[in-house]
Amino acid sequence: MHAGERRFALAITTPGLLVLILTTTFPLMYLVWSSFQTINLAMPFLDGFAGVDNYVQMWSDSRFWHAIQLTAIYTVSSVTLQILIGLGLALLVMQIPAGQWIFRIVAILPIVLAPVVVGLFWRTLMLSPNFGLVDYFVQMLGFEQVNWLGAPTPALISVIIIHTWQWTPFAFLVLLASLASLPLDVYEAARIDRANAFQRFWHITLPLLRPAIVIVVIIRAMISLAAFAAIFAATGGGPGTASEILNLYAFKTSFVELNFGYGSALAVSLLVITMVVSGVLFHLRTARHKVGQP
Amino acid sequence: MSERGRVTLRGIRKVFGKFVALDGIDLDIEPVEFFALLGPSGSGKTTTLRLIAGLDTPDEGTLSVDGVDVTFAPPGERDVAMVFQNYALYPHMTVRDNIAFPLKMAKVDSSSIDALVHEAAARVRIDHLLHRRPGQLSGGQQQRCALARAIVREPKLFLLDEPLSNLDAQLRLETRVELKKLQRNLNVTAIYVTHDQEEAMTLADRMAVFLEGGIKQVGTPSEVFDRPNCVEVAAFIGSPPMNIVPAHLDGSALTIEGHNVPLSRTFDRAPGPITVGIRPGHLRIDPDGIPTQLYLSENLGESRLLNLKLGDVLVKMRVAQTEPIVDGETVPIAFDAESLHLFDADTGLRVEAD
Amino acid sequence: MNVHRRARLGRTVVLMVVASALLLVWVLPLIWAFIVSLKSEREVLAYPPSVVFDPTSLNYVDALFGDFSIIDSLMTSAIVSSATTVLTIVLAVPAAYAFARLRLPAKRSLGFYTLATQMVPPVGLVIPYFLILNRVGWLDTYHGMIIVYLTFSLPFAIWLMVSYMEDIPWEMEEAAFLDRASRLQTLWHIIIPQVRGGIAVTVIFIFLNAWNEFLFAVQLGGNTVRPVTVAMYNFVSVEQTLWAKLSAAALVAMLPVVVIGIAAQKQIVKGLTVGAVKGGARQ
Repeated sequence: MHAGERRFALAITTPGLLVLILTTTFPLMYLVWSSFQTINLAMPFLDGFAGVDNYVQMWSDSRFWHAIQLTAIYTVSSVTLQILIGLGLALLVMQIPAGQWIFRIVAILPIVLAPVVVGLFWRTLMLSPNFGLVDYFVQMLGFEQVNWLGAPTPALISVIIIHTWQWTPFAFLVLLASLASLPLDVYEAARIDRANAFQRFWHITLPLLRPAIVIVVIIRAMISLAAFAAIFAATGGGPGTASEILNLYAFKTSFVELNFGYGSALAVSLLVITMVVSGVLFHLRTARHKVGQP
Repeated sequence: MSERGRVTLRGIRKVFGKFVALDGIDLDIEPVEFFALLGPSGSGKTTTLRLIAGLDTPDEGTLSVDGVDVTFAPPGERDVAMVFQNYALYPHMTVRDNIAFPLKMAKVDSSSIDALVHEAAARVRIDHLLHRRPGQLSGGQQQRCALARAIVREPKLFLLDEPLSNLDAQLRLETRVELKKLQRNLNVTAIYVTHDQEEAMTLADRMAVFLEGGIKQVGTPSEVFDRPNCVEVAAFIGSPPMNIVPAHLDGSALTIEGHNVPLSRTFDRAPGPITVGIRPGHLRIDPDGIPTQLYLSENLGESRLLNLKLGDVLVKMRVAQTEPIVDGETVPIAFDAESLHLFDADTGLRVEAD
Repeated sequence: MNVHRRARLGRTVVLMVVASALLLVWVLPLIWAFIVSLKSEREVLAYPPSVVFDPTSLNYVDALFGDFSIIDSLMTSAIVSSATTVLTIVLAVPAAYAFARLRLPAKRSLGFYTLATQMVPPVGLVIPYFLILNRVGWLDTYHGMIIVYLTFSLPFAIWLMVSYMEDIPWEMEEAAFLDRASRLQTLWHIIIPQVRGGIAVTVIFIFLNAWNEFLFAVQLGGNTVRPVTVAMYNFVSVEQTLWAKLSAAALVAMLPVVVIGIAAQKQIVKGLTVGAVKGGARQ
C-alpha cells in the first residue's frame, strides 16, 4: 500500500526533477568544467585544457580580491540598511491608525519593478549631474555637487542606495505583517507590569520578531550576492572597477573580454562564497533555535 | 436482512516504531450490529478501526469481511465508509458535491447520483442545505453531511471515529439517539470508536473494551457493566466508575478495613488479599457498618455523591438529596453483599464463586 | 480635550508627518519618472528641472509606434513570461504535493537539492548557458529562453507550493481514499482546488520574476527574442540618452507588473510572508 504511494509520489515528481537537473545541475557542471579550460572567444587558438591555471590566476588577481571586498561591503551595508529602515518604517506605520494601506501599496511598487529599470531610472533621473533629482536637491541644500556615478566612492554608495531603495519595502512589508500578527495579550501583560514603550520593544517585540528578521536577512543576503541588473544599468561596474562586485566581474570577463574560462572560475568562486554564506546563516539560525531562542 | 458486514480479526498486531499499538487481538463482529470499540486514548481502538478501514495494514494477523480476506486490500475494495472525527469534508465543494463524490468515483451515472444524494441527505435531514459549503454549516450540520457522504454508497461497513466528540454536550445527546436510529433504519454494521463509556453503553449492541493495546472484554453493555471480567474494565465502566477497595478473603469471610462483610458464596481459594469492586449505587448507610470519613459532598442535582475515606482509599457513594450529612462527619457504610465484585489481587481477573 | 488625548493626537500627527516624508522617498522617483515622460526631450534638459510645462504624449506614441518601438518586446515578454509560468506550474504543483504530503523516497535529500538550486547566482548559469546554447544553436530562440527561465522559476515555485500544500488537513487523502478516489483523482479533485489561492500567488510571482528578468534576456536573446527589459536600451546609447522616451518606454514596460502588483498586493504580501516566515521555519 505504501509502495504504491511511493511510486506515485516519484512519478509525479520526476518530470519537475528532470527539468531541474537539466536546467541547473547540468549547466553548473558545465560551468565547473569550463573553469578548468581556457575558452577565449576572442582568441580561439588558445582554447584547451587549463588545469587549475584559472584558479591560480584568480588567487593573485587583485581585481578579484577587490571585487570580493566590494561584494562584502555591498551586501552587508545594503542588508543592514534594509532591515534597519524597514523595521523602523514598520514600527512607525503600525502606530498609524488609518491609511496603512497607502503605505502597503506604495511599498509594493519598487519591489515589482524590474531591477534594470530601477537602475536606469536612478542613473538618469536621479543621479545624473545637472539633471537628476538627487543632484538638484543636493545643490539646493547648498552642498557640493557630487559625481554620483563618475567617482569611485560615490558610485559604490550609489549602487548601495539603489539596491536599498528597491528592496527596503520588502523588509518593511514582511516585518509589518509579522508585527500585525504578534499576540496582543503579551503586550497587555507587559503594560500591566509597567514596561514602557522602549522596554516593550526591546524585550517583547524584538525577540518575537527575530525569526522574521532572520529570514529576511537570509533572503536579502542571497539576493544581494547575486544582484546584477541594477548595478549593470546604473554604473556598469564602474567607474573603472569601483562598483564591480564579483558577479559583475565574472560577467565582464566572460561577455566583454570573452574570456569564458576565467569568467567561469570567477563564477565558481562566487558560487562557493554564496554556499558558504548561506550555510553559515542557516547554521546560525538553527543554532539559535537550539539555544531556546524564540 | 442480510448477512453482510461480518468482520473477523485474528491475531492482529500493529507496531509503530517501538510502540505496540495492538498486541495480537481477536475480534468477531456480527452483521448488522452496532459494535463499539471503547477505551482510553492510546488503547488501540482507533488503530483497529483504521485497520478495518484499510487506511493502515497490520504487521501480523488477518482481517476478513464476510469470509473474504481483506487484510491488505485498499479501502476502495472493502466497501466501507467512514465518518472522521473532524469530518474531513471537502471544503471547496458544496454539500451536494461532497455527498456525490463517492458515487462519482464509483462511476455511478449522473442521473442516479442526484436521486441518491437527495435520499441520503434527507435521511439525515440536511436536504435543504445541499447548496451550501461546509464552511457555512454548523458543527452538527457538518457532522450530518459527513454521515450522508458515508451512507450514500450503502456500504457493508459503516465506521465512525468518535463522531460526536466535537459537538457540544446537548447536541451530543440528541445526535446519539439519531445515530442509533439511523443504523437501525439502514440495517448496516456499524463500528463505533469512543472513549466515552456512557456513549458506548447507550449506543452499542455489543462492545469491546480496549486497554493498552489489548481487548479486555467483549460483550453487551449489560454484560460488561454487570460482570466486568477484570478490575481495569470494572474501574473504566460506569459513571461514576466502580469503587475499588483492597480487602482480605478467607473462604466466605470477607474483611474490609478490619470489618467483616459476610458473603453468601464460598470461594475455593487460599486465604489472602483480594480486590473488591462495588458500585456507588450499591452502598448504603448503615449504623452498624464500616466507619468512613466524609471528605467531600458533590451536589448532582437529583442526588448527591459522597466522597468517603475508607482507610487509604476514597470511595464514592450515591445518596438522596434529603439525606442529612455533615462535612467531617463519620459515615458508616455497608456493602450490598450480592453486588460485590471480587478480583484477584495480583492478576486483576474476576474471581467467581464455586 | 484632556491632556492624554492631546498628547496622543500630537503624537499621531508627528508620526504621520514623518511616515509621509519617508513615503516620499519611494514615491518621488516614480512620480518624477512619470513627469519626465510627459516632457519633450528639450524641455527635459532644462535645469533647474521644470515642474510646470506643456505635457505631451509624444514620448508614449514614440515608444510604442516609433523607430524604437517596444511593442514587439512587449509581445516577447508576454510570450516568454506566460509560457514559463504555465510550464512551471504544471511541473511544480505535483512535485510540491509529493514533497508535502506523500511518502516520497529520499524526500529530505531531494528537498535539500531543490533548495540548493535556488542558491545559484544567475551569473553562474548565464555563462554555461551561453556556451551550451551557442553550441546547439538555441541562442535567441523562444524555446531556449523559456527553458532557461525555468531555472529560477521551478525551484521557487516548488518551495512556495509546498507551504500551501501543508496547510490542508491531513484527513483529506484518507477521506478521498475511502471514497474510492485514485491518487491522481485525489490530487485533481480534492487537493488542487484547495490550494487554488496558493497557485494564484505562485503564478503572480513566477510571472513577475520572468517579466523583470534581465541578465539571461540580454545575453541569451538577440533580435528575435528581446524582452522589454532589454528593449529599454533602445533609448540609451553612448552618445546620448533619450530621457523622456526612456521614461515613457520604461513606464509602459512596467505597466503590467505594476497593475498586477497593485491588484494582487494582498496576495503578494501574503506570499512574501508565507515564504519568509513559514518556509524559514521549515528549515
